[in-house]
Amino acid sequence: MTTAIHLFDAVSRNNRWLSVRQSTIASNIANANTPGYRALDVEPFEKVLEATRLTLQATQPGHMTDGATKVTAVDVRKSEPWETTHSGNSVSLEQELINAGEVNRAYRLNTGIAKAFHRMLLASAKA
Amino acid sequence: MHDPLSSALRIGASGLEAQSKRLRVVTENLANAQSTGKTPGADPYTRKVVTFENELDETIGANVVKVGGIERHRSPYRVEHNPGHPAADQNGFVKLPNVDIVSEVADMHEANRAYEANLQAIKQAREMIAMTIDMLRTGS
Amino acid sequence: MIDPISASFRSIAVGSGSDAGVAPLRAASPAASTGTPVDFGSFLAQMAADTAQTLKAGEATALAGINGQASAQQVVQAVMTTEQSLQSAIAIRDKVVSAFLELSRMSI
Repeated sequence: MTTAIHLFDAVSRNNRWLSVRQSTIASNIANANTPGYRALDVEPFEKVLEATRLTLQATQPGHMTDGATKVTAVDVRKSEPWETTHSGNSVSLEQELINAGEVNRAYRLNTGIAKAFHRMLLASAKA
Repeated sequence: MHDPLSSALRIGASGLEAQSKRLRVVTENLANAQSTGKTPGADPYTRKVVTFENELDETIGANVVKVGGIERHRSPYRVEHNPGHPAADQNGFVKLPNVDIVSEVADMHEANRAYEANLQAIKQAREMIAMTIDMLRTGS
Repeated sequence: MIDPISASFRSIAVGSGSDAGVAPLRAASPAASTGTPVDFGSFLAQMAADTAQTLKAGEATALAGINGQASAQQVVQAVMTTEQSLQSAIAIRDKVVSAFLELSRMSI
């Protein structure tokens, strides 16, 4: 039953992705009044997972390593931005704060899950 | 690569600094909205504006914001006919600052809102760091 | 993670099933006192299977929650259920092991 290991690995990957997303949101909020600044976002988590899976297969099939999940902030605005001022700035503070709330919620859930399963693992291994 | 959550704190701090500089300039404008010159024909207080710049901080690999500079706004001064005023020129016109109180107050609210948003972002990044370290704590 | 518990259960179940010394156990088991004959070994095996099932379901739900496919409510519920069943399984395992040790210490 290596599902437990997969669980901790999944938590760590997702948290890393969430951290990069949080710093991107922080950049957007800080640059809310910078002329010409376009709001950034990270690629969806599924895409990041796919990319990592491909690089893993490329090296050695069956070799279990974490091919350093690379998450970068890219200019992907899936939908129309809520506003674009005449100065070319496309940051919407409300949208950024909503995203930040979502990031926080997911991060809290992840760490909660990791803690619970860590507890269970320790309890089951105790003599 | 540097820890993204620590970068978020640094970025948020730069946002706070920029917005509070902006707020300082706005309050200066408001305080001097009626400040004329002292001698006949002299220029009054000139409205100041801040310019923001996006800067890629290489050490943390993130976009911070910086105040590019505090400049004088180049819109024309308001003119009022007030012959008895010390700053009145030979035609009796006094130059008043090019400060529009309504737009300055609106700017102040905007700066406040942006400041709060930056504060919120910093708070959340700090909470996320605390949650991570909290995983080590024994018990629930 | 569930291997140590399942393995210990299964070994005890197999051991008690094939051992002649299971007869006093059968007599002493609570099920026998209520009148329904229940093989203690198969009871343990059933318990191990149930616990394994709950653990697997819990891990699957947690994984779904991490990938954003399950709601927080579902995840928390699943994890709590998993923890509860694990806790009782561990308690039973410890009791069984200590009982077995006591049995082995009995003078022949």
